[in-house]
Amino acid sequence: MIIYNPHNERLLNERMKEAEELLSQIPARYCFITGSFLYRERYEDIDVFVITRSKKTIALKNKKAKITLIDFNDLYSLFYHSISKSCVAKNLLPSRPLKVTISDYWQVINEAIPTLLNQKEEFYKNARFLVLYTEYLKNDEVLDTFQLNDKVNSFRDYKEVIGYIDSELPIIMNKHAKPSYIKRFFYTQAGYYKKLREYKSQDFLYELTHKIARGIMHG
Amino acid sequence: MVNPEDFRKKLEISISQDYKVEFLGKNFDQIVNLLTESQAEKIYQWIKDIVDRKIQPIFIGSKKPYKDWIVNELLTFRYPFSVENTEYRILFVKVKNSFYIEFHLGDHKYYDKVRKDLNLKKRGY
Repeated sequence: MIIYNPHNERLLNERMKEAEELLSQIPARYCFITGSFLYRERYEDIDVFVITRSKKTIALKNKKAKITLIDFNDLYSLFYHSISKSCVAKNLLPSRPLKVTISDYWQVINEAIPTLLNQKEEFYKNARFLVLYTEYLKNDEVLDTFQLNDKVNSFRDYKEVIGYIDSELPIIMNKHAKPSYIKRFFYTQAGYYKKLREYKSQDFLYELTHKIARGIMHG
Repeated sequence: MVNPEDFRKKLEISISQDYKVEFLGKNFDQIVNLLTESQAEKIYQWIKDIVDRKIQPIFIGSKKPYKDWIVNELLTFRYPFSVENTEYRILFVKVKNSFYIEFHLGDHKYYDKVRKDLNLKKRGY
């Protein structure tokens, strides 16, 4: 068993044994457990990830184990880099370079804003991807599950998450994207959102695209 | 336990349009059978809220074709729920400023497939 723990978080000893036992039941070379099960007395699910080419469903006796299959093509994703950063793995995990694009990030925002507005009470769950991408592009650091939990828990409600995106995004875009790309991409997006402004989410996205594009115009 | 035929009929009444919505999904009827009356009621209410424009859509500005439409002509509404520890998703698709075309119900695998078709998911994660 390999323990990835770059920030020396306090892991629960008894859970390490349990994790090892669970991983040994999985018929795959690359599998790992991450999340609150490793460090919190109280936990909801055991987040188990299996890297495999097979599409076959894997079931464990422990009903709290929530298994997610990861394709080898997904090893370049921010999601994989985050969940595998602090975890307990059956074997040494494969590593691939991280690939994150502005277009990926915008897709995350585009989906997260309506979801946050539809499920206001569940913003902790729905803000995770959004915060993961934003923090990576802001600080060049991939948050592991511990850090991501801390960051997401620092928001009191969905409004604070939306405010955070509203203020961070123009700065991030200025840092990472060329002005010509920003103009082209965001003015095109704004054109689409403009016709949907009767919806709060699309109105926010419209204003946001304009704010980013204006930021470029004014240097 | 909810009867799939009744479920479709009730949804069609709430949607109230001439165009016939397609009910799609692997194991659609089996999943509806697993719903409790109260879960089904929440879904009927959710549809009413969409019709009343109280629910926020996901919109993708993509020129990719999707069946007879272009992705950027469509709005997608998503409803997650779980039954006995298994997660399911509904994706309800509407043509912008026009009629509703599809009601998808399925597990995570099915959801991922539809998401890809609708260009809601470009990469794995």
